[in-house]
Formats: sequence, C-alpha cells, structure tokens
Amino acid sequence: MKISLNWLNEYVDISEFIKAPEELAEKLTQAGLEVESIENQSEQFKNIVIGEIIEKAQHPDADKLTLCQVKVEGNKVLPIVCGAKNHKQGDKVVVATVGACLPGDFKIKKSKIRGVESQGMLCSEKELGLSEESAGIMILEAKAPVGEAFAKAYGLDDVILDLSVTPNRADCLSHFGLAREIACLTKKTIKMPKAMFVESSKKKTDINVVLKNSEDCPRYMGRSVFNVKVGPSPAWLKQRLESLDVNSINNIVDITNFVMLELGQPMHAFDSALVENQKIEISSSKKGEKFQTLDGTELELTGEELMIRDGSKPVAMAGVIGGKNSGVTESTKNIFLESAHFTPQTVRKSSRRFGIETDSGYRFSRGTDVEMTELALSRACHLIQEIAGGDVASDFQDEYPSPEKKPVIDVHVNFVAQKLGYNVSPKDFEDCMKRVGCEVIEKDEDGHFKFQTPQYRWDMDQDVDLVEEYGRIHGYEYIKETLPILTDRPSAQDTRYLLERDVERRLMECGYMQAVNYNFTSSVEQKALLGDVSAWNEYGLNLSDDDVKLLNPLNEDLDVMRRSHLPELLKNLITNYRSGISYGRIYELGSIFHKQDYKEDLHLSMLSWGQAENLWQKNKKRPVVYDVKSAVEKLLTALGFNSFEWQLVNSAPSLLHPGQCVGLKLQGKLVGIVGTMHPKWIQENKIREDIAFAQINMEMIKKSYPKPVSYKKISKQPYVERDLAFILQADQKLGDILKEIKKVLKPDLKSIEVFDLYQGDKLAQGESSIALKMRFQAVDGTYTDQQLQELMQKAIKSAEKTGAKLR
Amino acid sequence: MKQKIDELLSQANEKIKTVADTKALYDLKVFFLGKQGQVTALMKELGKLPKDERPEWGQKINALKKQILELIDSQHKELELKELNQQIESEKLDLTLPGPQIEQGSQHPLSKVTEEIVEILSRIGFSVRSGPMIEKDWYNFEALNIPKDHPARDMQDTFYITEDHVLRTHTSPIQIHTMENEKPPIRILAPGSVFRCDSDISHSPNFYQIEALVVDQKVSMADLKGTISYFVKEFFGEEIKTRFRPSFFPFTEPSAEVDCSCPICKGKGCRTCKDTGWVEIGGSGLVNPKVFDYVKIDSKQWQGYAFGFGIERMAMIKYGIDDIRLFNENHIDFLKQFQ
Repeated sequence: MKISLNWLNEYVDISEFIKAPEELAEKLTQAGLEVESIENQSEQFKNIVIGEIIEKAQHPDADKLTLCQVKVEGNKVLPIVCGAKNHKQGDKVVVATVGACLPGDFKIKKSKIRGVESQGMLCSEKELGLSEESAGIMILEAKAPVGEAFAKAYGLDDVILDLSVTPNRADCLSHFGLAREIACLTKKTIKMPKAMFVESSKKKTDINVVLKNSEDCPRYMGRSVFNVKVGPSPAWLKQRLESLDVNSINNIVDITNFVMLELGQPMHAFDSALVENQKIEISSSKKGEKFQTLDGTELELTGEELMIRDGSKPVAMAGVIGGKNSGVTESTKNIFLESAHFTPQTVRKSSRRFGIETDSGYRFSRGTDVEMTELALSRACHLIQEIAGGDVASDFQDEYPSPEKKPVIDVHVNFVAQKLGYNVSPKDFEDCMKRVGCEVIEKDEDGHFKFQTPQYRWDMDQDVDLVEEYGRIHGYEYIKETLPILTDRPSAQDTRYLLERDVERRLMECGYMQAVNYNFTSSVEQKALLGDVSAWNEYGLNLSDDDVKLLNPLNEDLDVMRRSHLPELLKNLITNYRSGISYGRIYELGSIFHKQDYKEDLHLSMLSWGQAENLWQKNKKRPVVYDVKSAVEKLLTALGFNSFEWQLVNSAPSLLHPGQCVGLKLQGKLVGIVGTMHPKWIQENKIREDIAFAQINMEMIKKSYPKPVSYKKISKQPYVERDLAFILQADQKLGDILKEIKKVLKPDLKSIEVFDLYQGDKLAQGESSIALKMRFQAVDGTYTDQQLQELMQKAIKSAEKTGAKLR
Repeated sequence: MKQKIDELLSQANEKIKTVADTKALYDLKVFFLGKQGQVTALMKELGKLPKDERPEWGQKINALKKQILELIDSQHKELELKELNQQIESEKLDLTLPGPQIEQGSQHPLSKVTEEIVEILSRIGFSVRSGPMIEKDWYNFEALNIPKDHPARDMQDTFYITEDHVLRTHTSPIQIHTMENEKPPIRILAPGSVFRCDSDISHSPNFYQIEALVVDQKVSMADLKGTISYFVKEFFGEEIKTRFRPSFFPFTEPSAEVDCSCPICKGKGCRTCKDTGWVEIGGSGLVNPKVFDYVKIDSKQWQGYAFGFGIERMAMIKYGIDDIRLFNENHIDFLKQFQ
C-alpha cells in the first residue's frame, strides 16, 4: 500500500521524518509494518528548475530548431537548443539542467546540437513523466518563480512509502490509520480530519435503506446530497490521488476515493435519479441475474453474492464494485452516498468468484472498522460541500441492528513477561496498551488487567495478542536468547527420512547424482511416456493409472501430479545431453502419486546414459544397463537387503527395450525394474548414447528398514578356488545356472563370479561360453580332494540340468 | 682327497661369484650340494678311506660344504638385491598420468541443506516427522487458524486438487498431524516439499521448507530466538547474528520474521542482502492457543513455538546460488558441486 508522507503529516507530526524517510521506514518495519520501498519524488526532479526564456532565436544551422537563452537563477543564463514550437520569449518553462535525469534514465549533459552548444533541455509533461502524451513543452503560469526547484514549486516533493501490510493490520490501510499507528509508536497525538458541513434546512435523505442481510452487512449508512456540480477535481485533490496511482475521474468519485485512502472506509456514490423507487436494499443476488460493472464487464450472478439493489435491479456488488447503471456522471445532480460495513468473508467471496480486485474490495476483505462509517460519511459530505457545492440532507440513514462490541481481554503482566522472556512493569504495560487504543476496564496492584480493545483492531481477541502488541512496541530487540529446557527424552527419527538419507549416501558412493524435479508434470507427456501402466505394474511398481489433476495448474505442462519420476528425469537427460554432457548417472528419490486416496509411494528412479571414459586406459564398452544393475545391487546390499533376485518378466513397458529388461524381486515379490531405454525413444531424441533406467518401489524396503545387522561367525579355514566353463545354448539364461549352482552348493560356496564370456567363431551361432570362478570355504576342517571333487560334480550336474554343457 | 677338496672349493669360488642370476645360482647349489652333487659325491668317497682317516676328512668335507653354502648365501643376497633393483628400474611408472576415474556421485543441495539443518537441530533433541503433500483443507488451513475466506488465505496462492484437497502450501500441516498423534512434550522437525502458484527468478511453484515445533509447559520468545540463534551460528557461522521483526502468521502469536546478518558480506552490505546487511531467512512465533484448541491440546497447560525456513533460500545464501530455477534443472555441472 502506498502512503504519502505529506498527507500523513496532516494527521500526525512527522516533520522530523520527512527529511529522513529511511528512519520512519525502519521504525515501521521494526513494528511489523514492512516498508518495501521509498520513492522520493524530488529525487526524480533533481536539477530540474523553473526558467524564463529571455531570448528566442532561430538555430543558425537548423530550420526546425530554436536557440533560447534561458534565465534559471540570479543572473545565470543558459543557452538551450529546443525543437518545440509552442514557446515564445518571456515564457516560464521547466528546464532540465546538466545533471538532471529524466524518466527512462535520460541523463542531461552539456552537448552540441548541430554545432551549437546546449546546456540543458526545455521539458514537456511527457518528458517529465507527468502525463502520457503532451503537445510541445510545458509552459508555466506567468507567476512561476524563476530559479526555484520545479518539484518544490509544484508540490512534487512528496515521499511515497510502499508498505506491505500483513492481513491482521487492516487498520493501517489508510493514511489516518497509519498515522494512528505512528502516534502510538512515537508517543505523539493524532489530529482528526475535518468533517464540518452545513446541513440543509429542508431536505432530508430521500432514499430509503432496507437492510435485509445484516449478517453480511452489519451496518449500512447513507446520506443524500442535492444539487452537486459534478466536474473535474481541484489540483490538490487530483495530485493526492495521482501520487498514489489512483486516476482522477470526477470530483464526486474522487472524494469517495480520497476518503477511502484517508480513513480506510470504502465509499460509493449513487446517482439518486438512477436509483429506482428511491430504495436501496442490501440482499443477495438472484441466480442467473445479470449485472454490469462500472467498467462495463457483464457478470452473471450466482445467487450467493451480496448486492446493493434499488427497487428493481442490482446497482452495486457490495463492497466490490459499483454498477454501470447507477454511477455518478457529468449530468448527475443529486447523489446518495454509501458508507457501509460489509464482512470480509462476503466481499472476499464475491471478489474472488469474479476475479475483480478493487481498492474497496481489498479493504473490506481485510476487515474495515464498523465505527468508521460515520466519520467517513461526514468527511465526504464536508469535502463535497467544499468542492462540488450541494445541499447535504439534514438526516442520514443508519441501519446497524446489532452494534458490535470488541472483546474484553483479561491478562496478567506476569504472563506477558513469561511469554516474552523478560521483565515487564505493570505501569509500562498499561501505558503501552493505552497507546494501542485499549481502555482499562479493571486493574489491580498485582498487575492483573482487563482491557477493552479498540474497535479498529479486529485482530485482538486474546491475551497473547496483547503480548505481541507489547513486544513489538517495546521492541523485539529486547528479546533475549535462551534455549528451551528438554523435559522428556527426544523421540525417534522418522523412518522415511532416515531411509532417504541412507539411499542418498549409498548412491553417492555409486557415482549417482541426485536430481530433484517438481512433483507435478504434464499430463499429456506423462501419459505418452508411461504408456500402458499395467506393463510397469507387472514389475511390482504399482503406478497409478489415473492422474491426480490440479484444478488451477500454473500451466498445462504442470497440470497433474507425477505418477512416475521418469518423464522429468528424461527431460533432465535431454537438457544435459544437449549441453554436451554425454555421460550421466542421475536419480530421483521421492513420492509418486495415486489417484486412489491420494496415496503417495516412495520410489527410487535411476537414469544412466553413456560410459565413463577412462581416457588412456582401454575400457571395454559394456551395455549401460549392467552399470545400473550393479548400482542397484550395491545399494540393496548396503541397505541390508542382500537377498534380492533378478527375474525375467514376459512383457516390458513400451518405453523400454523388450529384450533388455529384468525384474527385481525382494522377499518373494517383484518391486522394481531395470532396463534399457527403447531404441526408438533414443533415436527420436537424437541421442547417441546407450541409456538405462531403473525404478524401485521402496515401500516394502521402507517397512523393514532399518535392517538390523547380525554377525555371522567367520570361518578360519582357507578359501579354495575352482573354475568351471560351460557352453550355453541360445536363449539360455546364465542367471538360471547361477541360481541352481548356488542352491546346491550351500553352505560351502562363498561366492561365484563370471570371469569370462565368449561368443564367436569357435562356437555355434547363438551359443556362448562362460567361465565361472567359485570360492569355497569349509565350515570346519579343510577340504579333502575328494570333497572338492564332489562339490564340483554337484555344480556341473546342476548346470547341466539347465541345459548347459561342460566345456 | 685334499686336492679334490681344494679344487672343488676354488671351482665353487669361481663359479658362484660369476653367476648371473638367482636361477643359475640355484642350479649351482644343486650342482655342488644336491643329492647328485659334487660335495655329496665326495662324501660318498669317504667310505673308501681307512677308518681312522674318515673323521678328519669328514670334517673337512663338511667345512667345505659350509663354505660353499656361505658363498651361495652371500651371492644370493647380492643377486637378490641386484634383481630387485632391476625390477624397480623396469617398473618405473609415470604417475603424472591420471588414474582411472572413480565416479563420484552427489547429494542434491536441497537434500544436503535439509540433512545439515536436521543434524544441527537433532543435537538439541528435535526429531523428523513427515506428512503428505496432498492435504485436506483442514490440515493446511483450518486447524492452523486460517478459516475459509479469511484474508490470511491470500498470503499463500494455493493449488487445489478438489474443493477440499490442496497441495500443501507449507510444512505446517505436519505440526497438526504430530499434535494430533503424539502427546506433549513435542520437539519435531518437518522438512518437505510445498507448493504455491508462483513462478519467477526467486519463486518456485514447488519448493522445500523445514519447520520446527516445540510444545512444552513453558515456552518463551527468548527460547525461540535462542534456538534460532544457535542454529544460525552452526549453519552459517559463529559471527552471524539473529534478529526478529514483528510479523503475522495466523498460527503463531506473537509472530516474528527472522533475519540474520548477511553471511555473504558479514553484514557490510552486498547484492544478496540488498545492501541492508541482513537477510530474511524465515518466519517464527509462539504457537497460537487457537491452534492448540483445534488439536485438542490444553492451551492452559501447554505452550509452544514454531519456526520455518525455505530450504532453497538457505541453500542460495549458503552456497551463493542466484537463480532458484537451477535447483530443478538438474544440470550435471550444477549437481556435481554438492558432494
């Protein structure tokens, strides 16, 4: 909210701050009214002065330019080249002298224009930023004081503060309101605005107010003013409004806006002639009814808005905006002024429903002062009589069926002290509360008080509110630093948190980098990429087949919650790859969403592309999918879930390579997938690297995390190694052989590794030869040759059972 | 016999000293001392000598054997040293060549900062709690004293899933879940992903927060400030100060914005703090008794405080990151800096 210091100064003496607005800004900010910016108007007009053209001559080398001699102060005369046509000798003009800076960062320097020196510029209103358009330079009135700063002479030396007012401080959304706050902070007195006018001897308010909904409109005041002269506002009024970015319309409308900015009470003026049946009724709209706002927008009402109606139709949307059918125009003679109190809820609802944001709606929806309606109405009458003339009706309407009373708060000074953590004296506390506007209803020696809170502070209704008031006015800098006492033992850490950190640490060791993407994505892309969800769910991923949609997405690319991390990870890959990063290992660990009960499951998704280049060392290229697989294996082992198995599943998601996919099985259940991206996707996205993906549904792991570590007795016996080589038929899976061998050689077999894999000339098409290294360790004693022989035979037999041949 | 012994000795002397490597030396050992060796053969000849001469020559042969062994041993040591030196010479490596890369992964800066904050505050008894991202209106607003059509709802631009379900706009609903499910005293941290309809260089529509809640018998603004000040010093550095400014949050009363002296310029004034020497890091306050009423905790018996920070903001200040969008682009060159 913008506040003019010159205006503010009319209600509280802030002359000491006008020269140092930063100090006032700091004071307000430290009291909870954050000043976001300070705009010093005179800064903008620095080095811009009033001058007099004492001589006007033709530019020697340019037909369209004139060369003026301009007196600026004392005897100083500046030569200035000017391209305008509307000036003559003797005119008072606005001179931007060397060092001035006009809007648009246009710096005035000494320069030569077509060979003639020019020491400044004669300005137009447009160039000064005072109007949108202007013809020629600005010619001032003859009495304008030559040499004086333009800003000072024309009242443009105001300082405008921009405040960010928190929702609880609606009382500060006006100049008077803020002045009241400053008076409280600086222990000064507040001056009331004038509200004096002559009441008509004959005429009474001729509009009858019928308040049908006092729940949404607790109070409605109105008064007629007759025979006003509608016309442009005087300069001072225009300037007050325009300095706060409010456009001037006509004197009557400007006065209602002025009163709102001054007292915080939004007002509305109806043209009495357009109010049918001389009746104003406050009631709800009718469903389907049409209403055209002041600015011409046509709305279809829902039956829920609170409206102001005349005898037949809605004439204003209560507290939000007036209707086109009843506003004040040039031809208006008699007016009816509205000064009402609408509840924040009702105004907020209407304003949000139609997306209409007005200064009035803003103030009502934050809460206005029900008692301000009276002063505001009188103040408006005062100003109207002064500016637009007119007969103010001798009476007014005031519908206020159940006057509101603010709560009385019971508080002990010791409570305030305990909450703030420092001593508070009863006297100090009482003084402070009085400054805030509270009235002492009761007090005792001990420091116990009962306060009546002021009407304009709707945010004060319990003892802690007074704690805050005292704390902020006294100053938060007095709050000490202590630590709360631990009165019980700390509780256990959240499992998901621990698991996530553990996975992050393990994957960092595996060379994976953690990615974090938005939890929402594009519905279209997600659907296209995931394809048939059941194919993923064959692998135990349990993805939702229906989207969780946002009602108000930021844009259509972020319109649903994620059902998988994959779409966003693929985008990350593409961004990286396009910037020349041909190798990457990234993962995301986080929730994916279900439509059903909006359930969130913890998933881990890993995406890998390219091979690390080890430069001068020869590196056999192997499919990236094996890298992902080993990272998954390392991760699961490290987390204590080393009983995983790999299982082939008949189908594959459409996004993955159908021949390069495998399921991850844990505790007898499929919980994940590892696979290569489909070559079609890779080609379509013009990527020249192998890409592999893994996704694990972490819910089961989460349930049994953390796995306790239990020690297994170690054997002192030496390890014995034996090698075997087999020929595998086409389509025969090594995994099956390993599984069989492991099964039959328990508990002697400690590890089994593949140390060679050969396919080629020496073998038949499709066949492959694999060499296995097995390590045995006896539980006790050492192996005899015969025992080892038996173990080897068992291994061979079990391998042969799967169709492999001993080589 | 003597002649044979002398010959063998001189022969051994000559051969052993000129032998080229340990392998040849071993052959010589076999040649002289092996089962079929020269000295062994000489020993066998002892039998042909008269009985009384045998001990004398026997001793001499043994002495010869010992001498040869000594020769071999000393030569062996010499050769071994020589060969080791040769091996060392031949195995010289150019260690200016880079070693094979061990791929180093990384932790996302948002996780890293979260973990660090949790670590610091767990030391004084805080434990993590989590909650859902899709929340009921009641948890995200109502129970936090933000009734429907209350002006405070305007403080947060909300994404709606249905009339009654929102993407949580802050981590505060986790406070509500915890207070509903656990009995005081409570001392928890709630990190998580939150959502607001807002997107520009300093606002992300989906960002991260962490929030702390204490519920105990007596809790003051001083306890709140002391806790935050402890945290700020641990997180940003010993010399960083904490400042409170009055503010408004519906769920706390009194409420305070938290500023700390700018960790980048140490309060001297820079771009990050817009030359003020202070940076805003979060909001805080004493739990509003109305919130206790909603979760049915007796506000006469229990008091509390809560504070919250934006994780992105903390990371931006701590690491000097100037564009919030970098956190979600996941560029490898960005990610790899946070190991």
